[in-house]
Amino acid sequence: MVIILARDIYLNGLHVYTLGASSPNLTIPEHYMVPVRIILEVDAMSIFMAIITATVSLAAAIYSLSFMKGETGQNRFYTLLLLLVAGMFGMELTGDLFNLFVFLEIASIAGAALTAFRTRFADTAEGGFKYIIISATAALIILFAIGILYAQYNLINIGALANVMQYTMLDKIALALLVIAFAMKLGAIPLHMWVPDTYAVAPAGISAMLVVSSQACMYALYRVCFTLFGITLNMYTVGWLVIILGMLSMFVGVTMAIPQTDIKRLMAYHAISQSGYMLLGVGVGLAVLGNPEALATYGRAAMSGGIFHIINHAMYKGLLFLTAGALFYRVGHRDLNRMGGLAHKMKWTAIFYIIGALSISGIPPSNGFASKLLIYESVYRFNPILAIVAMITSILTLASFTKAFYSAFMGAELPEYEEVKEAPKSMIAGMAILAAGIIFFSLFPGLIVDWLAHPAADALISQGAYINGIMGGGG
Amino acid sequence: MSILGLSYCPWSPIFWLLASVVVTIMACFFRRQGQKKYKKDTEQTEIFLCGEEVPEAKQRHIRAHNVYWGFFETLKEYYGANMKAHTGIINDYIIWFLVLIAISAVILFIAGGV
Repeated sequence: MVIILARDIYLNGLHVYTLGASSPNLTIPEHYMVPVRIILEVDAMSIFMAIITATVSLAAAIYSLSFMKGETGQNRFYTLLLLLVAGMFGMELTGDLFNLFVFLEIASIAGAALTAFRTRFADTAEGGFKYIIISATAALIILFAIGILYAQYNLINIGALANVMQYTMLDKIALALLVIAFAMKLGAIPLHMWVPDTYAVAPAGISAMLVVSSQACMYALYRVCFTLFGITLNMYTVGWLVIILGMLSMFVGVTMAIPQTDIKRLMAYHAISQSGYMLLGVGVGLAVLGNPEALATYGRAAMSGGIFHIINHAMYKGLLFLTAGALFYRVGHRDLNRMGGLAHKMKWTAIFYIIGALSISGIPPSNGFASKLLIYESVYRFNPILAIVAMITSILTLASFTKAFYSAFMGAELPEYEEVKEAPKSMIAGMAILAAGIIFFSLFPGLIVDWLAHPAADALISQGAYINGIMGGGG
Repeated sequence: MSILGLSYCPWSPIFWLLASVVVTIMACFFRRQGQKKYKKDTEQTEIFLCGEEVPEAKQRHIRAHNVYWGFFETLKEYYGANMKAHTGIINDYIIWFLVLIAISAVILFIAGGV
């Protein structure tokens, strides 16, 4: 259904759906000046995120069939998993700020419960607790910011608010609250510390989904900056704010990943680091949004690179978390110091790990290389130092994943793992879905950029189209 | 579909794969030129460690915390400061959050435009 909707949006443009209206396109009822109902507004950026959510959730659900087999209360597990999916879809497809808050809460509560689901482990409760505290605090701040905007404009619809935005002092406070709250939810440095604590202890399939959940918060951040405030704000200042968060995330994330000996903590720090690339690419686009020449020359390409990197990251980081889960499933721990020689017994897992590791490290001809190349090339024209730091980060990423590969898979067969077998079929199937996605994106980067990344970047740039979708009566 | 348009030159993974195939064929060719007279499953195929006794698999596997030792030793001040900031205490996480909100608000007041 997501693919069909994506095709329709690509061919016919943005769609709106008004809940409870006589016609789905009736965004502003008769005798009203503003939209009053809950409205879903789906443009190329929203549907791009929905494709990611659908793909990774499918792989994670199939993977969990075996991974969670021995656990009690599986009906509750899958109910929460579907609730998490619903929360993410809602965040990505809604055109309403209050709805965004509600779906963020749904995703956060489901995510925390799923993280803490395996209560027989001591650290899962701590991970879930930290996740809910961080999420609740961020959501509270977001609600406060929405309240500030509602108090001034009597509106909560994003398009309608953008239409009347005056960028007052109160709006600046709301912007600061929204940007930093979403930055914390997406795990940007220095607000990242909950990420390794949570991702490491969650069931592997859920770790992959939490990556997508963080990306949904990144989408919300982009939506606030580009669509809600758009041309009213000083794009250069806010763009640099996003770039600095991205640079810190990239560099500190990767350097903190290298010394980790818990394989999932290592991967969690890399998730932070890779978010930095996305913030950098889109931040450059935001910084030059007011300069049409720079936007056309490299700004749009930087944004497309950042957006392309979102889908790549969802695929390879999801895959890497699933391989880490397969190792945990068979050896019973996540400690790289105690692993070794597992490629002898877990050949498929090793192959999937190699695919994911090459892709995240940006080794040609992987999809990670294609998106990073787009980012390097365009960001270099904005500021060469940023591109150089991004390249150094990529080298350190390769070093980190080489260490993890050597420690877990290489070397002679260790006696304590003589009985270890390959992961069960459903776990292999889950990993295969994401690996197939990586291979497809690697072979056809032009297709993905032309059909998904460029339209998504254009959707963010063209604030007028989003506003017109609501105020003009829908599409 | 496979070509990604960039400003300086396009990128196509197909050309890279073709080059990889050529390199693989060359590697296989050179490998075939190698010594074929060795006897399998004899001491000829065992690990040679300067004549010393080869330790057991468990002992000769370099563990994760020993990898890149020199890198960490060189950057120990950076890592010392960074590890110190990662307390694992949720109160500290929230303090970072509040501090960053304040900094962003000040930046937006001063240079936020309009």
